[in-house]
Amino acid sequence: MLWVLFKESLFFAWQSLNSNKLRSFLSLLGITIGIFAIILVFTIVDGLESNIRGSIQSLGNNVVYIQKWPWDFGPDYPWWKYINRPVPKYYELDELQKRCKSTEAIAYRMGKRRTLKYKSNSIQNAVVAGISHDFYKIKNFDLTSGRYFTQNETDAGYHLALIGASIADGLFPNEDPIGKEIKISGHKAVVIGVIKKEGESLLGISFDYQVITPFNFARYFLDPNSENADPIIYAKARPNVSNAEMMGELTGIMRAIRKLKPLGEPNFALNETSLISKGFDGLFDIIGTAGWIIGGFSILVGGFGIANIMFVSVRERTNLIGIQKSLGAKNFFILVQFLGESVMLSTIGGFFGLLITYIITALGKDVIDMDISLTSTNIILGFTISILIGIISGFIPAYSASQLDPVEAIRSN
Amino acid sequence: MRPKIITFICVIGYLSVVFTFPQVFSPQIKKLGVFVPAIYGILVAANFIACVGLWYFKQWGVQLYVISIFAKLLFYILSNQMGFGFYFNIILSFIFILILLRFYPKMNQNL
Repeated sequence: MLWVLFKESLFFAWQSLNSNKLRSFLSLLGITIGIFAIILVFTIVDGLESNIRGSIQSLGNNVVYIQKWPWDFGPDYPWWKYINRPVPKYYELDELQKRCKSTEAIAYRMGKRRTLKYKSNSIQNAVVAGISHDFYKIKNFDLTSGRYFTQNETDAGYHLALIGASIADGLFPNEDPIGKEIKISGHKAVVIGVIKKEGESLLGISFDYQVITPFNFARYFLDPNSENADPIIYAKARPNVSNAEMMGELTGIMRAIRKLKPLGEPNFALNETSLISKGFDGLFDIIGTAGWIIGGFSILVGGFGIANIMFVSVRERTNLIGIQKSLGAKNFFILVQFLGESVMLSTIGGFFGLLITYIITALGKDVIDMDISLTSTNIILGFTISILIGIISGFIPAYSASQLDPVEAIRSN
Repeated sequence: MRPKIITFICVIGYLSVVFTFPQVFSPQIKKLGVFVPAIYGILVAANFIACVGLWYFKQWGVQLYVISIFAKLLFYILSNQMGFGFYFNIILSFIFILILLRFYPKMNQNL
């Protein structure tokens, strides 16, 4: 019985929409624009968020960065407190490795932009990093060809290099880079491996444009005491050891290495990736809220448009409602009939809104080279909003139609 | 004839729907889960339909109003959103329910 009622009301609704094509189109346009605006913003925000969170994830959740500057995204960054701090030193890495029990691996890295050359090919502003041997235990990267440095090679500072995929493409467009000699700021280095392509990252954290060399070789063209080389000591916690526990131990050891007074301010910063996540949380909330407000108003306007058109529709079909009621149609039938029309109208509008969003994100994905796609969550949300706006904006006209007196309704012009 | 106090409750109800409907697709609600916006949306729609029922002075309006209020409170408790608004909502809703129950016997029983 309910199915028959639903089918019939949908049939009536479809007939009504079909007989007033322009009016139906104009009224569903409001919903289309509203759904398009809000779902597009959510899709872009989700895409950006997943890209940035992926980049943060690649930094390691259980890795702590020992640096000069703390990661703080607040408006009042007290830079004057930190400016005279020393940068992390390579000898501090040795001390930390000897003393720290809670870490699985500790590594050092410094890096700066340098010019690379191979025969007539050159790349300017490539990031060249000097690392300690355990760097591979901290940072996850795969090699498409070649191998990583041996312990002896890193300790002795062999003139070797691992190059990123984009560097390999740029310097060696038609040949295998392994075994070839490149020049880094005039210093020769043999390529022993190529890092697998990682793709674009919004945080700019990608090995694609990097060259990795042993620290003792990198010292020829990078100054480890200079802040420009951005020296960092990475510490990765052992399994079952929390970051807080590891940071406690690292703080104690670093204070001892730097001979700080027990109550003195530390002259180093222990940074966690969770700090970056927190920094971005606020940004995503602002973008999401802005999209929500813009889309929300569009949808409200669309909803009023549908309500308006439904009142017109009821007015136009008052005679028909009277005839239907006099032939035995129940109030509920009339209610469902008009409500069905309203829901159908807004759902079609929502469908087109989602379709436009899908097309734009599919086109945009190729342009900006980032994974932005319409997720199932946003599709469900789009249809949910459409159906709800259809119910809310169509209920009053539908209910007023169902309450009409059959005799009065037939008499009306 | 609808009493003025019922009209007042309906106007408050309609306004609250206008302000709470955008929350259905707010980032805060979206974060709670895939189907949470849909559930919250159903509650908002039920609240609106209940207000229409009250406007027409129908008993089903009161019934739906009470159900939607309790369901909404349950939703806020389960989703751990119990700020100042939550307690204010409880007090206001219970006052409204008491007023509605007073007029309930006089209301129309039909759809």
